[in-house]
Amino acid sequence: MTGNAHATTVGRRSVLKGAALATLGAALPGRAGRAADPEPILLGVSGPLTGQNAQYGAEWKSGFDLALDAVNGQGGIGGRQLHYVFEDSQSDPRQAVAIAQKFVGDPRIVMELGDFSSPASMAASPIYQRAGLVQFGFTNSHPDFTKGGDYMWSTSISQSDQQPLLAEYAVKLGLKRLAVVHLNTDWGRTSKELFVKAAQDDGVQVVAAEGYMPDEKDHRSMLVRVRDANPDGVILISYYADAALIARQVRTTGLKQPLVAVSSVYSPKLLELGGDAVNGLYTQSNFFPGLQRPDVQRFVHDFTAKYAKEPDAFAAYAYDAMVVAVAAIRQGGPDRKAIHDAMATIKDVPSLIYGKTQFDVATRRVHNPQNVDLVVKAGQFAEWDGAKAIASN
Amino acid sequence: MFGSWFDYTVNGLIIGNIYALLAVGLALIFGVSNLINFAHGSVYTIGAYIGWTCITYLHTPLPVTMLVVIAGCALLGLAIERICLRPLQNAPQIAPLLATIGISFVLDQLVQMIFSPDPRALPMQLPDWRIPLGRGTIGSLDLLIAAIGVASAAVLFSFLRFTKLGWAVRATALDREAAQQMGVDVNAVNRTVFAIASALGGISGLLVGMYYNDISPAMSFQATLKGIVAQVIGGVGNVPGAIAGSLLLGLIESWGVALFGTSYRNLFAFLFLILILVLRPNGLFSSARRHPPEPMTGTFIAPSRPFRAPRFSLAALAGLALALPLVVHAPYLLQTLTNAWIYALLALSLTLVAGTAGQVSLGHAGLLAIGAYASALLAIDLGTPIVLAILAAGLITAVLGTALVYPAFRLRGHYLSIATLGIGEIVALTILNWESLTRGPIGISAIPPLSLFGLPLESAEAIYWFALVVVLALAMLQTRLLRSHLGRTLRAVRDDDVAARAYGIAPNRYKTLAFAFGGFVAGIGGAITAHLYSYINHETFTSEISILALTMVILGGMGNVLGALLGALALIGLPELFRVTAEYRVLIYGVTLLLLIRFRPQGLLGTV
Repeated sequence: MTGNAHATTVGRRSVLKGAALATLGAALPGRAGRAADPEPILLGVSGPLTGQNAQYGAEWKSGFDLALDAVNGQGGIGGRQLHYVFEDSQSDPRQAVAIAQKFVGDPRIVMELGDFSSPASMAASPIYQRAGLVQFGFTNSHPDFTKGGDYMWSTSISQSDQQPLLAEYAVKLGLKRLAVVHLNTDWGRTSKELFVKAAQDDGVQVVAAEGYMPDEKDHRSMLVRVRDANPDGVILISYYADAALIARQVRTTGLKQPLVAVSSVYSPKLLELGGDAVNGLYTQSNFFPGLQRPDVQRFVHDFTAKYAKEPDAFAAYAYDAMVVAVAAIRQGGPDRKAIHDAMATIKDVPSLIYGKTQFDVATRRVHNPQNVDLVVKAGQFAEWDGAKAIASN
Repeated sequence: MFGSWFDYTVNGLIIGNIYALLAVGLALIFGVSNLINFAHGSVYTIGAYIGWTCITYLHTPLPVTMLVVIAGCALLGLAIERICLRPLQNAPQIAPLLATIGISFVLDQLVQMIFSPDPRALPMQLPDWRIPLGRGTIGSLDLLIAAIGVASAAVLFSFLRFTKLGWAVRATALDREAAQQMGVDVNAVNRTVFAIASALGGISGLLVGMYYNDISPAMSFQATLKGIVAQVIGGVGNVPGAIAGSLLLGLIESWGVALFGTSYRNLFAFLFLILILVLRPNGLFSSARRHPPEPMTGTFIAPSRPFRAPRFSLAALAGLALALPLVVHAPYLLQTLTNAWIYALLALSLTLVAGTAGQVSLGHAGLLAIGAYASALLAIDLGTPIVLAILAAGLITAVLGTALVYPAFRLRGHYLSIATLGIGEIVALTILNWESLTRGPIGISAIPPLSLFGLPLESAEAIYWFALVVVLALAMLQTRLLRSHLGRTLRAVRDDDVAARAYGIAPNRYKTLAFAFGGFVAGIGGAITAHLYSYINHETFTSEISILALTMVILGGMGNVLGALLGALALIGLPELFRVTAEYRVLIYGVTLLLLIRFRPQGLLGTV
């Protein structure tokens, strides 16, 4: 389990440190820790609890809480419990900016996580940077996010890692002429461009590219355009809800080509919303509950036990982010500057997405995520068996 | 290629078919109550969720599900009519429209709190037969939706033509007071219409939810928007016209996608809307020109005696605000107040346009966006010093904003509001699509921070002072303008533009002046935002901001400069105080809007 591995590799050092500070609580985690009852260490989270993206904020919470249960159940960090303050930004830049000032002005907060969307995070970045508070935007894939300053860090999967993997998958599936359908947002556009480049490097032709709006539900006309470009496969750069909608409409417009979707569609919700239409959809995932890795299995088991539902990728991102935060605090101590320095030096932090996390100090991002090729079979995600893609009938 | 055009046409009709279900309900309510019901999308969402609850927990078959949805949404319609609209019968026409915006906030938030924001699958309860048509197929649900759309229009049409209650409905629509004097129970008519329209709205939500197998609380706003566009195209209040308008809207979107690509889809829809509004404001299918409405610009001005603060107290308040950073060191407080000052610029602009000049704009966020992009691009691409870039952004916004609204000046009341809503969307979509200039969805990052004579303003205090000084200067300028003959003339145009014209005033010139000054102020607000955030994209300034600005202005008192500042302070500051109750914030906000419209339409400080 992630938490355990963690406690043994990094935790020992902090226990020693705690003992050196002569706090009895650290040496005897658990009961004694609570008896001394020191102030908890606080993290600030800026994210959406209401509004358009509220569901992601909810997933974050479940991921955070699960990670914190493990940490605090073992006595916290140096005898202090780790808590977070979740401020609802609705992923709105204006509110993210105010929240940033709030966190920055609250000396108890040692590190910030979020925001969810890149526009909200990036509006707040100058404030975190000036105040020297780490802004850990663990879902911010915008290529400029970590360029905001040396206090901006992200474990978001870099699309420059992900898109070549997707292109490779398309090649393995035997596809040669691709149409790309993408969300017309900063993320979707960046991803599309990286994909097109990777595909061309692999000798695959991209014959059409269509960008759709996030709140659009009707995609039939877009799909007719795709059909007329006569591709042999369709790439979806989407989130799960759109991917399900598009998959349902693909067959009604007479497209029979296989669909290959980027890893962000991976969610139990894709199966629920897509129904039969997503059978045969190829995708990839950096996090797959079916993966026979002990840490992943442990996470899925604990998550399902606590929330009575399967975790999706966003819960896994949040869980990982909290584990990284814990590692940085353990290494550097609960101090803003020390945490910033520790982010650069933490190594081999267990991670559901990357196996082991370690930041590239120059870009403040993590590279080489785990990747599983998947296909939807009979309403379930399954590991891809290596068979070439064929047009359905 | 011909084959594909056939497919595009079919696809356009299919989506038009869905818009039609929404537009018919909206048209019915408008036909009787002269009201554009912004809560229709919320009723639609609730219909979908009632259906989902029945199917998931009670496993009801389709006819039963539909009956429950009809009953539930009809009751909801009755409640909306009773609680929110009947008390506003004698209020200015825009009051119920704003009330429906408040209701939609409340309902959407309630749905989200009860059912969670997660999208849910709404399984289809029909066998999925598919009929090949062109190279694609259409399914049984497409046919059911079309059948229900046409049948409900036919039933409504004959109800209105051939039944006594129908006559009463039409009589009420033509002249409420005359109908009342002839013994028509106007309230009963209103109730009936709201119940029918809401039931229809609920059914649309259920069917569309099944169609996409996807329902979420966020589906409401898009539905309202497209329904309104469709019914304006067909002619507001015209039920058969609403169906034709919906199909036409669907076709235009589909052909637009065919010709130019997917990201242009809504741009065409809204351009078409503006075109129709300007050329044929009564819709494509109205046979004859209707009588011009009574002189009424449809603004939301409740006559009142504005609160006049003594000059020394205003000076003292301004002094206090300026001295605040010296007294307390609280960056969070200062940031929140800075946000409030920036929004105060937007509110100043809107209170002039909507309050003083009487042109209620629902697309004011578009002006912020123009200002923000102008200043950011000037600073980055041309290296313009920040202060100059901000000033230039103000001027650019004044010119562009006025030019965009100019064709809509002949419109009044609701029509103008809908046109501004459309223009706001057009601005956002143009920013998205004009990539060579605006960098499209990637947005503009690394916008230089505010600076004065080469000195960057980075501390919360410096930014606070900068924003505050700009607000105070522009507020004083606006006050001066309004005390001059210009203010009097604008109010004259607002109160009765026929009379104003009779006195030799050219209303369009004065409206132009109002929009130009308003555009300048809002543009400066947008520009400051851009330099403060350092990153903007087409999603930074959403239509929610337009509604927020309108609420601020109503809260403070329409046309009231001090009121605009107070409104911005209250609506930006209070939600920060209520951060603890994050989930309820939107709810509180909607209820505030409703209560204000109902009990204090003149706002806190009174209209000017």
